[in-house]
Amino acid sequence: MATVKDLLKEKYTQVWYVTPSSTVLDALKLMAEQKIGAVLVVEAGKIVGIFSERDFARKAADGTASLQTPVNDLMVKAVYYVTPEQSVESCMALMTAKRFRHLPVLDGDKLVGVISIGDVVKQLMLEKDMTIQSLEDYIWVHMI
Amino acid sequence: MATVKNLLKIKGTDVWSVPVTATLRETLKLMAEKNIGAVLVMDGDKIAGIFSERDYARNAARHESLLLDNLVSEFMTRAVYYVSPKQTVEECMALMTSKHIRHLPVLDDDQKLVGLISIGDVVKQVLEEKETTIQGLENYILGRGYSG
Repeated sequence: MATVKDLLKEKYTQVWYVTPSSTVLDALKLMAEQKIGAVLVVEAGKIVGIFSERDFARKAADGTASLQTPVNDLMVKAVYYVTPEQSVESCMALMTAKRFRHLPVLDGDKLVGVISIGDVVKQLMLEKDMTIQSLEDYIWVHMI
Repeated sequence: MATVKNLLKIKGTDVWSVPVTATLRETLKLMAEKNIGAVLVMDGDKIAGIFSERDYARNAARHESLLLDNLVSEFMTRAVYYVSPKQTVEECMALMTSKHIRHLPVLDDDQKLVGLISIGDVVKQVLEEKETTIQGLENYILGRGYSG
């Protein structure tokens, strides 16, 4: 079964981040340029939060955000993360339970990537298809 | 293989929408209240577009404004892909993946809006089906093994 490390290997894993004092506008511009739905918020090499399109839409709706607001005020501070050794299935379970679309990957203290729900789903589909294929092959060879 | 109709039976046929005359403030409030990522924009009983959190984030960045008093019709995505209740869930998955979209309205033969499915619903269903197939194949192998 594939691990987070395998997922990171398959794609170029540049991690995009802003700092807590960056403005909401800075973060949104970075997200638009890089075509991503969320950015990590990093301070002194440590992840302190994550900021997504959803966080922005929600805070704009209730009137608590302006584009000049520091990201610090709008980000989600409880960031869940995974390690390179974890299975892709465990990431899926975490994302589903917490309703996240992104998970940072930490190797010890070091941020080594971010995986998205799209990457995770793609991998799980592939694995299940391979399992189905090998079971069918087994049946053809041994049972028919 | 499950169809869109089967999926709607499980998840319900509620569709949240705003009229083309709604402001972004009204639209975002509805999305927050219902905890949804996108709403349909309706012109009477016709779909005029779809508006998502992404549309909002991108437009706010481009215009450097929260745009709350602007009309949703200015920023919605007008090219709306849709599916029919008879289509398979796998077809929806393929369409969503190739077009990079997370939501698909469901229109019946009379072009009447009967539901909205999201990528989450579709993925869950497709994964469950694959799992069922695996179980079935394993049972077949085991069953034959024991009886033989």
